[in-house]
Amino acid sequence: MTTLMKGTRWGRPELYTDYRQEMALLNTRSKKAGTIAIIALAAVLPLTVADDLLAILYAGLILAIGAIGLNLVTGYAGQVSLGHAFFVGIGAYTAAVISGDPDDRRLGYGIELMPVWLLGAGLAAALCGALIAPVATRLRGLYLAVVTLGLVFIGQYLFREFREISGGAEQSRRAAEPTLFGMNLTEDGAWTEEQKLYWFGLGLLIVMAVLARNVARSRIGRALQAIRDRDVAAGVMGVDLTRYKVIAFTLSSFYAGICGALLYASIGSFTPERFGLLMSVQFIAIVLIGGVATISGTIMGAMLIALLPRIAGELPAFVPFLSGSPSEHPNVFEFQEVMYGVLIVVFLLFEPRGLFGIWHRVRTYWKSFPFSY
Amino acid sequence: MTRTLVTRIRDRAAATPRGVAMREKRLGVWHEITWASYWDSVVDVAHALLSLGVQPGDRVAIQSENRPEWLILDMATVAIRGTTVGLYPTNPSAETDYLLTHSGACVHLAEDQEQVDKVPDVADAPTLRTIIHVETRGLRTYDDPRLLPWDRLVELGREHRAAHPGAVEALLEAAELDDVITLVYTSGTTGPPKGAMLTHRNAEFALSTVLEKSPFTDPAPGPKDLTLSYLPLCHVAERVLTTWYNAGAGTQVNFAESIETVPQNLREVQPTLLFAVPRIWEKLLASARIKLDSATWFKRRHARFWLARADRMGQTLAANGGRHTLGTRLVYAVGWVFFYRALRDRLGLRRVRHASSGAAPIAPEVLQFFMGIGVPMHELYGMTENTAIATANRPGRVKLGTVGETHEGIEVRLDDQTNEILTRHPAVFAGYWQDPEATANTMTPDGWLRTGDVGEWVDGTHLRITDRMKDIIITAGGKNVAPSEIENGLKASPFVKEAIVIGDGRKYLTALIGIELDTVGAWAQKQNLAFTTYRDLSEKPEVRALVQSVVDEVNTRHNPVEQIKRFQLLPKELDHEDGELTATQKVKRSAIDAMFHDLVEEMYAGAAAGSTGGAA
Repeated sequence: MTTLMKGTRWGRPELYTDYRQEMALLNTRSKKAGTIAIIALAAVLPLTVADDLLAILYAGLILAIGAIGLNLVTGYAGQVSLGHAFFVGIGAYTAAVISGDPDDRRLGYGIELMPVWLLGAGLAAALCGALIAPVATRLRGLYLAVVTLGLVFIGQYLFREFREISGGAEQSRRAAEPTLFGMNLTEDGAWTEEQKLYWFGLGLLIVMAVLARNVARSRIGRALQAIRDRDVAAGVMGVDLTRYKVIAFTLSSFYAGICGALLYASIGSFTPERFGLLMSVQFIAIVLIGGVATISGTIMGAMLIALLPRIAGELPAFVPFLSGSPSEHPNVFEFQEVMYGVLIVVFLLFEPRGLFGIWHRVRTYWKSFPFSY
Repeated sequence: MTRTLVTRIRDRAAATPRGVAMREKRLGVWHEITWASYWDSVVDVAHALLSLGVQPGDRVAIQSENRPEWLILDMATVAIRGTTVGLYPTNPSAETDYLLTHSGACVHLAEDQEQVDKVPDVADAPTLRTIIHVETRGLRTYDDPRLLPWDRLVELGREHRAAHPGAVEALLEAAELDDVITLVYTSGTTGPPKGAMLTHRNAEFALSTVLEKSPFTDPAPGPKDLTLSYLPLCHVAERVLTTWYNAGAGTQVNFAESIETVPQNLREVQPTLLFAVPRIWEKLLASARIKLDSATWFKRRHARFWLARADRMGQTLAANGGRHTLGTRLVYAVGWVFFYRALRDRLGLRRVRHASSGAAPIAPEVLQFFMGIGVPMHELYGMTENTAIATANRPGRVKLGTVGETHEGIEVRLDDQTNEILTRHPAVFAGYWQDPEATANTMTPDGWLRTGDVGEWVDGTHLRITDRMKDIIITAGGKNVAPSEIENGLKASPFVKEAIVIGDGRKYLTALIGIELDTVGAWAQKQNLAFTTYRDLSEKPEVRALVQSVVDEVNTRHNPVEQIKRFQLLPKELDHEDGELTATQKVKRSAIDAMFHDLVEEMYAGAAAGSTGGAA
């Protein structure tokens, strides 16, 4: 029957003969082809693109993982969190501690096996998330935003003062170095460091994104969306609010932890000051620009934000009054800082559904062709 | 032993047990029923009918929307040599009473609470012993002892099957070609419905004609073809196309959720063979036009360009019998990439390789539109009494405005005096159920069936139907006018849903016109015309002016005697429940005359002597 069925399904994308087919991630042929094409394109990119750009793209891929986490809690579950940077910091330091040099003056266990420190980073962040979550079950909206904002400041203080781990304010610490199959990804070999890291980041992002998509379209995802739309109504429908808010925060923090563990692999080190409010805003910007409650949108948003400095750097050539040197005003670095805010405002005003919304409109235009609805 | 519909199913189930026989949409998913499970259900239910005491020749009635149970019970009944009686789900209570008592059915399938409520009491229908129902919702508190849920029926069948293995097979073997397999009640535009008896012989002849002797498609319909089942199964055309084609050719039947969801279901199923009544084609055309007109600027311009090409292609195709010329083929190939493929996909017609219209006259403009966008359209002709098989337009030999050529092995001739169409072939029915008088009136002594339609030959090969014999209008001036042609001209406009031309014994022709709420509503919105109800919209002077323009346009195509001098807009949508339409959506002229008498008289009020004068 399956062979017969295949013939019948061809050209009839909407003829779903079982629920699985309808709920499949790639439920149409064109989606399947499109996804394969994009992945293939992304995979061959390092062969043609310069290494400095690859490093930026790697940061984008890892930022996307973190942003997907924020999108789960803020986009899907509607719990506004400004404290994402805190969880990223937890992840970064946990990974550094687990894999760090035992002979160093700072804490280090010297376990260089990547799965251990990567998972450890994720789990440590997730644990913190689970501890914070009960607060979220009692607060919502603006109050929750303020509380999570507090989290960032607590984090800043902790990272600065916990000298055994961070070394103190403005002290940089070596980031964990990913190794795969006995190959250190941060050293040049047959492939350059940037190429290897990029491929690794791409693979991990695909895994994490698919995981998140699966969570979003499962019972958990539906519960989270019900809570977002109206928590009282969700409770009445039988959604256990406490349970699902805890799940949302835990999961989100796990993603943040993974992101933190890998974010500085290509730069090599990081300081406590990195995990400030700006980073949280950066993640919020990614989610808003990419598209609330979409995974693919988040990836688009992360790439855009990661590339923003590069784009801004090119601007003086086109915009005469903008200077490329830091001593003149206005310069691109100032512009860059403003850009996050400007992009958020512009997107909220004109494209509330983010980059994904633009894509969605384009798709609908052709999907409904030659009609308009 | 004789080959019947049921043995065809049995053989197919043995040959391709895992092939798909039908699909039914439940909760958004099309559930598939394989041939093996279809056949198994038929046998189970046939045993159940035996255990309910159904004897060969007994009638089993079905009043349900199209669903697998319809086919299963139908074929189970035929398997044990019973007779199936189909009722329209829209039949009002009084008609249900009449049909059940007239046919003397002993088992009746009433789909749900709505249908169960229509079933007459024990006193009124003494023969009716069992009422099977499929949907149990709302029926739990009913204590009618005749009620039997479908699941229980199947259980009964399994028990009986275990106790009496081979009982059904024995009856299957004993089946004879002259067994009456179904009573098809004609819709009855005049008088009560009459039950046409169709036999195995009729069914086998009809199937062998369209599938083997002169198949209407190449390759002939087969297991790879999909059909959408949405017209009432008690109508002969849908029964042939759904149940019989399924059994005879193995086509995959897909049941539409309801008549309202047909556009959506068409898109999902993308059938390869599609039969529709003119009403559906008109509706598809109208909704395509509305959607294209309300698209964004670029899409609208794009559509206009390609529709103009389609229009030209339609004309060429029509002139060419439906065959492409090199020029149209090239234009179509380019247009397919840019427009027609997408349009047909949205309409659910992308994979249609044979589209047909029948059961009522259709305006050639509608056929031409679909031909233009690449849907191979064919008009067919047949009626209940000849198992819906008489003439058809053949691919490549289409003549618009005709109902095509005679099938092989079928005799069609015109009556010398009246030009009435007569047919004679083995698919002509066995007579009306318990109505020998009506049978005698319909059949000539030498076996010709009087169709009641007046026709003429075009080029000696194609048959053109002028009108129903009893609908022909003779004006006060003594002129014979065929109203259906004028009515269809009017109905070809997307704004007109119903048109009834009046003028029998009158000085001039008038028309009652019903507007199409969707299209006129959309038009009114564009004109910033506020309206509340159908009636309110009908009474707008702007709408009147709009319809006037349609009438004027149609009038230019006819000579003065056949022109509509005045018209009135109907204040309501015509409806089966109110007795204005038959179950097949045909207008009951007598009912309309009575109901809208005042409107009609108003149109003739100016010409006071209109109704009496001139007749002499």
